[in-house]
Amino acid sequence: MISIRNVSKSYENAESAAVRDLSFDVPTGEVVVLIGPSGCGKSTTMRMVNRLVEPDAGTITIDGQDVREYRPEQLRRRIGYAIQGVGLFPHWTVAQNVAVVPGLLGWERDRIAERTTELLDLVGLEPDAYGGKYPHELSGGEAQRVGVARALAADPPVLLMDEPFGAVDPLTRDRLHVEFLAIQDRLKKTVLFVTHDMDEAVALGDRIVVMRDGMLVQQDTPERVLAYPADEFVASFVGTERALKRLSLAPVTEALAPVGLAEGCQCSVSATASLREALARILELGVPAIGVHDERHRLIGAVSVESIVERFKRPLT
Amino acid sequence: MRALRHIAAPMLALGAYLAVAAATPLWTAALGAAFPGETRILYPDAAPLELVAQHLELVLISSAISIAVGLALGVFVTRPAGAGFYDVVNDLTNLGQTFPPVAVFTLAVPFLGFGLRPTVVALALYGILPVLRNTVAGLKGVPAEVLESATGMGMRSAERLLRVELPLAAPVIVAGIRVSVVVNVATATIGAIAGAGGFGAPIINGLVNLAPAVTLEGALLAAGLALVLDALLGGVEHTLASGRPSAV
Ligand SMILES: Nc1ncnc2c1ncn2[C@@H]1O[C@H](COP(=O)(O)OP(=O)(O)OP(=O)(O)O)[C@@H](O)[C@H]1O
Ligand SMILES: [Mg+2]
Repeated sequence: MISIRNVSKSYENAESAAVRDLSFDVPTGEVVVLIGPSGCGKSTTMRMVNRLVEPDAGTITIDGQDVREYRPEQLRRRIGYAIQGVGLFPHWTVAQNVAVVPGLLGWERDRIAERTTELLDLVGLEPDAYGGKYPHELSGGEAQRVGVARALAADPPVLLMDEPFGAVDPLTRDRLHVEFLAIQDRLKKTVLFVTHDMDEAVALGDRIVVMRDGMLVQQDTPERVLAYPADEFVASFVGTERALKRLSLAPVTEALAPVGLAEGCQCSVSATASLREALARILELGVPAIGVHDERHRLIGAVSVESIVERFKRPLT
Repeated sequence: MRALRHIAAPMLALGAYLAVAAATPLWTAALGAAFPGETRILYPDAAPLELVAQHLELVLISSAISIAVGLALGVFVTRPAGAGFYDVVNDLTNLGQTFPPVAVFTLAVPFLGFGLRPTVVALALYGILPVLRNTVAGLKGVPAEVLESATGMGMRSAERLLRVELPLAAPVIVAGIRVSVVVNVATATIGAIAGAGGFGAPIINGLVNLAPAVTLEGALLAAGLALVLDALLGGVEHTLASGRPSAV
């Protein structure tokens, strides 16, 4: 677990503090997304965790140990870091870039080669095709994947990811999100993830921490941030479509109505689909309700516009 | 091999240059034909190849010092500890470049005296500036996010310098070395005033004795060496720039 306690930081010759009395936790194995407008102190917060920036006040601990007790290089080799802007080493190949931290840790040559192949596979880049390329031969999205592979290279328990998918188109980003969640499902890293995109925060976060002007404004689950924004600022930041965003977080099973409702409609969605997908199908087909099937394609219920509205009237716990 | 592609031709040119310099009769014949009425054709105290050896000694020693000092200073002022000296060094570099080399050398003689050693010192001092300037420019040109990721991955500052910063700055640094060495080949001819030998000896001898053939001998040797070294270092620069793309 990463614990950030009462941390403040003012840069030299800056008018106001970049981070002010900030406290929150990143529980072990969870993804906490730090979100806020440009310049609110997200990157600064992240850099204080791996000591690229030293706080003026407060403490940061990882699994109970103060980060100041480590030698900075030792600390950083145990924390995967995907920086804003990727920062691949332009004079090294993709494989050499991924191998940096294992190399610093003195791994054997064979083990490094094996690990590099494994990681490129993991982030969906064919190792034989991409391993020998130079960064300038990659697209923005490919470079960001390499950045993520590089951060994961030495299998660090803690990951800091600063807008790792910032420079890609929405479609590629969605695909990278799916891959990221699949990877996280397997690896269960403790991840501090920075973005200023609410959709990304909702898609990836177990918890969301909203910042403004260096201060924490709200921290909660994505559902609750969308349902109960702490103030006007958060409400405007999450956007007017926050109800629709909530739909994408809720599985259809949360608004299940009797099968009978979908009678006469030859269509159904999987039980793992989100309410957003179900509603989209309802609108597409112009029907009042749509069936829901389980993995064996047996109908287990239906979802209607009313059942969705009812679901949203229930308070969140 | 890709690495040798840009260097092979300049190496051949260097070989050809040395071969021509070694062929003393050829010089006698060619310059004799060019200046039919002249009695003094070649510099009497040393054969062309000997002059090359003397000149190369001056150039190689002084350039080695320039490169070492320029690199070290350039690295120093771009480290946190030396950052305070950056402005001073930058001003000195710019000021130094506005001084003609002949003036630098002539002013240095009264302080440093005559002979090989003071000549080398004066040449080395003058040659530092382009190396220093380009080392600083090359290191400052390494993108901030590359530096941040190097540090963030856990590289120590020395590892970062040797494995990331210097390799990325190398093409720019070599360009500075190239300027320094080529200027040095020309400037070193003034070393003859201080009795350091080299191509300056026939040039001055020819001037003093009104023997244009002798002056031309020194001038041709100097121009040839400058061209060959320029091509050779240009080849190195090219190899570094093409083998390691610096586009981010
Ligand atoms: N090295 C620095 N020196 C001085 N001020 C800085 C430095 N780095 C950041 N700042 C300032 O501190 C504040 C917070 O910056 P930070 O990079 O943490 O923002 P951010 O939330 O990551 O923004 P973005 O979403 O644009 O990346 C900004 O006002 C910024 O200008
Ligand atoms: Mg940032």
